[in-house]
Amino acid sequence: MSFQENTVALSSGPLAYHVAGDGPPVIHMHAASGFRATAALEALAQSFRIYAPVTPGFDGTATHDGVASMEALARLEAEFADTVIGETADVIGHSFGGWRATWYTVLHPQKVGQLVLECPAGFREEGVGGLSPDPEELQRRLYAHPEKLPPETKPESMVTRNREMLAHYHGGKAKDDALVDRLNEIEALTLILHGTKDGAIPISSPRLLKRLIPRAFLIYVYDAAHAIEVDQPEYFTGLVGDFLTRGEAFLVNPGTDDRAA
Amino acid sequence: MKFSYTHHMPYTHVEEAGQDWPVANKQFDPERGAELYREYIDNKVYAEEVGFDWIGCNEHHMSPYGLMPNPNLIAAAVIERTRTAGILQSGNIVPLTNPIRIAEEYAMLDVQSGGRLIAGFMRGIPHEYVAYNVAPDESYARMREACELILKCWTEPEPFGWEGEHYRFRAVSIWPRPVQQPHPPLVMSGTSRESATLAAELGATMGVLRLTSFDGARAMMDVYREVAKSDGWEPGPDHFMVGMGCCIADTKDEAVETMKSGQKYFFEVLGGGIRTAQRLVIQKTRYFEHEESRQNFPGLPSKVKQVPIEERIEKGLLLCGTPDMVIDQLRRVKAELGHGRMNLNIKIGNTPDGAVMTTLRHLKETVFPAVRDL
Repeated sequence: MSFQENTVALSSGPLAYHVAGDGPPVIHMHAASGFRATAALEALAQSFRIYAPVTPGFDGTATHDGVASMEALARLEAEFADTVIGETADVIGHSFGGWRATWYTVLHPQKVGQLVLECPAGFREEGVGGLSPDPEELQRRLYAHPEKLPPETKPESMVTRNREMLAHYHGGKAKDDALVDRLNEIEALTLILHGTKDGAIPISSPRLLKRLIPRAFLIYVYDAAHAIEVDQPEYFTGLVGDFLTRGEAFLVNPGTDDRAA
Repeated sequence: MKFSYTHHMPYTHVEEAGQDWPVANKQFDPERGAELYREYIDNKVYAEEVGFDWIGCNEHHMSPYGLMPNPNLIAAAVIERTRTAGILQSGNIVPLTNPIRIAEEYAMLDVQSGGRLIAGFMRGIPHEYVAYNVAPDESYARMREACELILKCWTEPEPFGWEGEHYRFRAVSIWPRPVQQPHPPLVMSGTSRESATLAAELGATMGVLRLTSFDGARAMMDVYREVAKSDGWEPGPDHFMVGMGCCIADTKDEAVETMKSGQKYFFEVLGGGIRTAQRLVIQKTRYFEHEESRQNFPGLPSKVKQVPIEERIEKGLLLCGTPDMVIDQLRRVKAELGHGRMNLNIKIGNTPDGAVMTTLRHLKETVFPAVRDL
């Protein structure tokens, strides 16, 4: 199920987005590397219609005037949802996208069905984890199985620019205290994923989220680092698909009993 | 030097067990079995009084080799009758059992004992995989994943789930949690390169559970040290435990004869069916990831032969003789390997319980006082 690229005109400017699949709507918020149509996402698109807005300034797009904070991004994504989707959607956010997804859920709770936070950034202590400037160390922090990483299709300048854009939105801070203070407002059923070999996000981060988000499940994904979709695509697709389909009943092994599905 | 007491609790009322796997249980007499359980548990409890630091329990299946398919049941009985000794679980065989269950039962033992559990994470010996119908090829992958999961069970402050290759749990939060924080000390086997590597990665005490050569033991200890060094820490003597058979009597001849008789029974009666299953696993599966590990395994068919007791004593691989001789033998092993812990197996095969008690008495009165400072 391959992704198609579109653009929608919003009040602050044009917003590029990718879309694929059929089924209940899901918004996917990308990580600092920009949007990537991973095999895991394409597999998920077998059962869901996935909308993946490109954060302005990423993947060669222009920034929007007046959109220069995480909260402003959440408002922009809400306008995108109203304009393009027009109904409540589940939300998946990976890393930087998890940070955005959390703000989006806090500021626009009525627009969110269920929330999936895949190794979200924004909740780590300063000086622990993060994206290393050393390419080898960065690779180690992000991937337990770099051999599964598809060939890079983006030019190096775009990859660099994507990372530089992070500061534009969150000023380079590791922990968003204002957001932490509002985690207890989240009513959406939330799935937090953390790779057992994640070198970018310390374990204190998912634990903090699990403790403060009222209806959250924390799942450790074995033998995965920060990019779970790359390291363990089958686990990701099975787990997230099950959670989005069955809600809290995903705790129950469905076996062959249709009532559990 | 610190000492651990191991006792496999063999069923010794069998004259001929044959070579078939599994060993037919029609020879098991439950009334005699009940007597043995009482006797063996009394014996393990007495080890605390003798001065052993740890009392060990092991897991083995489907043969008279040992009557502890669930060592946690025996540990619970020993805990209730001891006060200070550590309880070394040289089982559970982690890849064979639900890891959540192991985490729970070990936590129970730790809480019941007031924090005396030494948690053994064992891969087991090959025939156990036939008993529980687990693919031997998967043993290392299961072992590695299960160990991480058990540690998570003990250390996670919030309920969590696990999505892995062999284990999937959506919501875990075990009750009780262990007394010892962040978790009970670990003991793992270091018989192969793979096992020694994992033991070092987890900071476990590495057990050379069956000493077959000093060079072989040193090689595995070096693997452990190298992994520890690359992880940024340096192991001390207490990170290494060496397992040896031990028999002490008033005369050398008496000790050697007792050891010979017990070894003969162990080899010819208790070990028969096990070797059959082991041969199948070793020859027909990838139980050992590396050929080197396979070749070093003492149960390899080409290596299964009875090395004369005298030769093994001469090589320093058995503790056998008078108390003074055993003190010298312990000093030699310490000088060769530099370890800090010994695991002594005294009930070898059908060694009479009177002889076991004699060895324990000599350890208490003469040997332990002489070697504590090693």
